[in-house]
Amino acid sequence: MRKAVTAIVLIALLITLVAMILPLTFGSPLMSDMDDYFIRFGQEQTGNNNECTAVVFDYRGFDTIGESTVLFTAVIGTGLMFRRLFGGEEVEDE
Amino acid sequence: MIYEIFHILILAGLVIAAALTFWFRDLLAAVLAAAFFSFLISLEFYILQAPDVAISQAAIGAGLSTAIFIIAIRATGRFEGGAP
Amino acid sequence: MSKLVRFAADILYPVVLIFGLYIVAHGHITPGGGFQGGAVIATGVALVIVAYSYKEVIGWIGKGGLMAREVIGLMGFIGVALFAFLFGMPFFYNYLAGQGGLFGVPVAFGPNPGELNTGGTVPLMNFAVGIEVWGGLSLVILYLLSGLIEKKDQEEEGS
Repeated sequence: MRKAVTAIVLIALLITLVAMILPLTFGSPLMSDMDDYFIRFGQEQTGNNNECTAVVFDYRGFDTIGESTVLFTAVIGTGLMFRRLFGGEEVEDE
Repeated sequence: MIYEIFHILILAGLVIAAALTFWFRDLLAAVLAAAFFSFLISLEFYILQAPDVAISQAAIGAGLSTAIFIIAIRATGRFEGGAP
Repeated sequence: MSKLVRFAADILYPVVLIFGLYIVAHGHITPGGGFQGGAVIATGVALVIVAYSYKEVIGWIGKGGLMAREVIGLMGFIGVALFAFLFGMPFFYNYLAGQGGLFGVPVAFGPNPGELNTGGTVPLMNFAVGIEVWGGLSLVILYLLSGLIEKKDQEEEGS
């Protein structure tokens, strides 16, 4: 019973997804104002030939700061988990 | 024509690699199937003209996460379910 | 690992290092950038860690160097962004682009052959993020491997 219900739900989901995707055409997005602006003025304003890097590091720099901080915090968290184990050093808790 | 054939082969390989990742009971083989999935999806990104994403996917998905998974398997057990 | 794997790692590690630094340095011209190049270099470090034993690698690399690399990368990235305040510009303003001098050659609209001396603050940020990702991802693998080694030692002592 559960398997039949699961299969029906999955098939319905698949059909919905395919029906949603089919009208779209690859390479022609619905809204492209921001893309057109970046492509037209990105090279002159930032001096980058690579538009992806211009967007990531210049127009959307705050997102990159967040990404770097997330990576830093992840490494610090891993270090906290394995702090007692690294190099055999015993670190006293407060 | 050769472009479409290559594209369809890569998409079929993606589905097969994902299914193999799910079906393997040997976790080491499952990790290798996941690495193959990452490699194929980086090829797919390259075909869809996103080389930036392809480079980062090939480095992180197929390189680093495989190493991390293998270290985790060495620390626990190789086979799924119960103690080794 | 065996001698063959160590030989291959010795040959491949400088190649991977140079390729990663190339991706970082040309991030504003060709596809790539700081994060991708740093991840490629971290893959090379993981290759060396796999090929040699943990104690040898920790003798060569050390934890302090990688941690310093990570901190310097993050602080350099934020510092380059903060430096715009000195010129009276808003945060993250690209104060070097198109001004002449270092990284300041102007770029015209349309396809062009590409000049390495362009991009403004973007190449500096690329280097900072590349160094940070290099240190961070290598440090994650070293930490996880140290946990594995410690578990093995405990099992040997206990049995």
